[in-house]
Amino acid sequence: MANIIEIKNITKEFKVLNRREGLMGSIKDLFSGNYTTVRAVDNISMNIEQGEIVGYLGPNGAGKSTTIKMMTGILEPTSGEILVNGSIPYRNRTRNAGEIGVVFGQRSQLWWALPLVESFKLLKEIYEVSDADYEEMLALYRSLVDMDALLHKPVRQMSLGQRTLSDILAAFLHNPKIVFLDEPTIGLDVSMKAKIRTLIQALNKKKNTTVILTTHDMGDVDALCQRIVIIDKGKMLYDNDIEHLKGFFGSYRTLKIRTDGDMAQIAEEIRHALPWASVAADDHWISVLVDEEKATVMEVLAKLQQAYTIRDMQLEEISTEEVIKKIYEEGVQ
Amino acid sequence: MKLKKFLTLTRAGIIESLQFRLGTLVIVAGNLLYLIIVYFLWKAIYASAGTDVVNGMTFSDTLIYLVLATALFQFMEMYIVWEMGRGIQSGKIVLDLLKPMPYRRFMFWSYSGTFVTQFFFTFLPTFIVVAVVTHGAIHLGLNLLFFVISVMMAVSINYSIDFLVGTICLYTESIWGINIMKQVVVMLLSGATIPVAFFPEPLKTIAGYLPFCSIYNAPLSVLLESDPQPQTLLTTLGIQLFWCIAMAAISNLFWRVSLRQITVNGG
Amino acid sequence: MKRKTPGFYLRIYAKILAQDLKSKMSYRADFIISTIGMICTNIAGFISFWILFRNFPSVAGWNYYEMLFLYGFSLVSLTPVQCFFDNNWSLRSYVYSGDFIKYCFRPINLFFYYQSEVFDIKGLGQFAFGIGTIAYAWSKLGLGFTPLMLLKLMIFLFSASLIMIALQNAAAATCFWIQNSFYVLDLVTRFKDYAKYPVTIFSPVFRFLFTFVMPIAFIAYYPSIVILRPQEVPLLSWLSPVIALVFFFCSYKFWMYGATRYSGTGS
Repeated sequence: MANIIEIKNITKEFKVLNRREGLMGSIKDLFSGNYTTVRAVDNISMNIEQGEIVGYLGPNGAGKSTTIKMMTGILEPTSGEILVNGSIPYRNRTRNAGEIGVVFGQRSQLWWALPLVESFKLLKEIYEVSDADYEEMLALYRSLVDMDALLHKPVRQMSLGQRTLSDILAAFLHNPKIVFLDEPTIGLDVSMKAKIRTLIQALNKKKNTTVILTTHDMGDVDALCQRIVIIDKGKMLYDNDIEHLKGFFGSYRTLKIRTDGDMAQIAEEIRHALPWASVAADDHWISVLVDEEKATVMEVLAKLQQAYTIRDMQLEEISTEEVIKKIYEEGVQ
Repeated sequence: MKLKKFLTLTRAGIIESLQFRLGTLVIVAGNLLYLIIVYFLWKAIYASAGTDVVNGMTFSDTLIYLVLATALFQFMEMYIVWEMGRGIQSGKIVLDLLKPMPYRRFMFWSYSGTFVTQFFFTFLPTFIVVAVVTHGAIHLGLNLLFFVISVMMAVSINYSIDFLVGTICLYTESIWGINIMKQVVVMLLSGATIPVAFFPEPLKTIAGYLPFCSIYNAPLSVLLESDPQPQTLLTTLGIQLFWCIAMAAISNLFWRVSLRQITVNGG
Repeated sequence: MKRKTPGFYLRIYAKILAQDLKSKMSYRADFIISTIGMICTNIAGFISFWILFRNFPSVAGWNYYEMLFLYGFSLVSLTPVQCFFDNNWSLRSYVYSGDFIKYCFRPINLFFYYQSEVFDIKGLGQFAFGIGTIAYAWSKLGLGFTPLMLLKLMIFLFSASLIMIALQNAAAATCFWIQNSFYVLDLVTRFKDYAKYPVTIFSPVFRFLFTFVMPIAFIAYYPSIVILRPQEVPLLSWLSPVIALVFFFCSYKFWMYGATRYSGTGS
């Protein structure tokens, strides 16, 4: 399959004014400027194929939105090459904009006072969507969500969930090749999150739309992404499949047990007995992170059972969240 | 200590308004340009009038009056109506109401930092320039003290009016409309655009019965009177004091009544 | 994708306008209060004008009705900026909050898309007021009436309004660089109040400044001369349509430059 996005060694630098502190500092700042250069994105390369859903992750301030701005053409890289849909986005911003859709979780791009259907009609004009395509898209939407509840409601009267849903529908309306979703599920309740994930997945399948998703919600990542890209401090940390990512950290599983006696003290004893495992305790459970290359969970459990009376136990796979956390904290060795 | 709490707000306001660095320079430069326009306009007007004194005011009287009125406006305009209106619309006002300080006082002290910066960046430079350029047309004596007292009362009256009008935003969504009406009425009837001395007779009388004159006309006439009669001075300050108390009471009362109504109706 | 034609933009604007009006009607109280506010502004402006010229029969050789004509002319030429470019006033807060970015992703002209969002119907009251003033002054001056004069009037009103639009665009666009650009916009708005006076009252330096740098003289003075004093029209008056286009184009470029520069930095 063809690459829809090709990024080669892009770097973006900003100049930032150093502000001084306090009253005198503010007065000094009036008259002099003291700038430093910050490298928001540092030598990043990646290729994305048509139809992929890519999770683009990183802690706050990692350079995610800067990269996305470069892909959408509103920002020019300091150096490096970027091709979106075969053309250079910042040279052809308007043309590029016709082929992409963008959703910001917290910022509606719809006309605030208009009913959704009127916003759709305006977008149809702006993106020059033919009547047939528009009707087809609406029919598809009807099959996926309860459109009647949305279409005739002004955006300002919608709940956050409805608004996000509407924004996503609006972003897909002109059948763009790529849709950028920035924290689409932020602030939503569990059932709305699930609804939105299903919608994104369905649209991606039906229209083969490439989706670039930035999020802090690992539920989104697990539900949607085959591939994830992680950056931090402007540098690329990881770019591969989710499954591969888990394997990367060996086969870890968490064994949780409940015993009689002082949990904290027992946890300390286990820590001594199994120095390679990481042990934590709360009021109810003692958690032992087991590296299965060192010892299997069954071996560990047998060992513990000899020493203590185990009342209850649980076994947990390591979650994506924990893996990502480990990468943020430790990097990829 | 109570005062310290308020002064912390003042200090934060000063730092915040200085953060907008280039903006501050723009304000100073812009005001200068604006004053130049006022100068030429009135010079032309007086040149065409044929007499030196119109309605008891000479060219330099009028000029000083208008220039300082503009500077006072810059200094006193707090955009309270906007702030309150936005706070009410966005619901942010709830956070401010929860602060351990009456809202009316909280708003005032939050703005007091802007007073300080505006005083040093707008009013004081303007005042000095005017005093120097007009070669002592401004009498520098005891009247300065009365002027300061008068300005403090003017600030208070202006704040009360703003707060009163801002409270109306609890009832209607139209911030712009309400604000512009307030601004137009205050600017015209306070003598900020044209000295009250120039008003035709019935209008002058009407303006005299309203609180607006106490905002601009009163402090400026106190300042410009080089040889004040104790009686006129006392009358001016007395009227100001009356409005000061009356407007504070009215705006406070209106606010309380409105707030109770809103909380009862759950608006 | 093919290049968008002016017809395309016109069609979109008409659609947005129709929708916007519909939704405005849903805020009826706001609409009524704002309209009253706008009428108040015009009446107050007129009263100030009247007070001033009650005291002074003429300014720099311009009599009462000629001044009134300039006044009406400035009101009309300030209408389009009020009606079509009012969203410039919100630009600052969109930029400040970062919400401006949402305008950057549409495949149409950014400036157009942004300005199209708001149509301010209140400006129409000012338009009617201005037309009435022009007509009244026109008849009192006994200027006579020919279709050619009407054509001239329309052309010059149009170019005058372009100047004001240019000024406001440029002022609003400063928010891409400085944070409290409100003061810049406010300043320009105050300047427009002085556009109604003949530029001849200024000294040569400022006449130059207000003609070429801050071209407020083109809002009423230069274009009005064509109608008022056809025998002494300066070359600049005839050039004013061209100058208006140039200023508008420059302000548009400045606005767009600021927007593209900004959209990268705000997160």
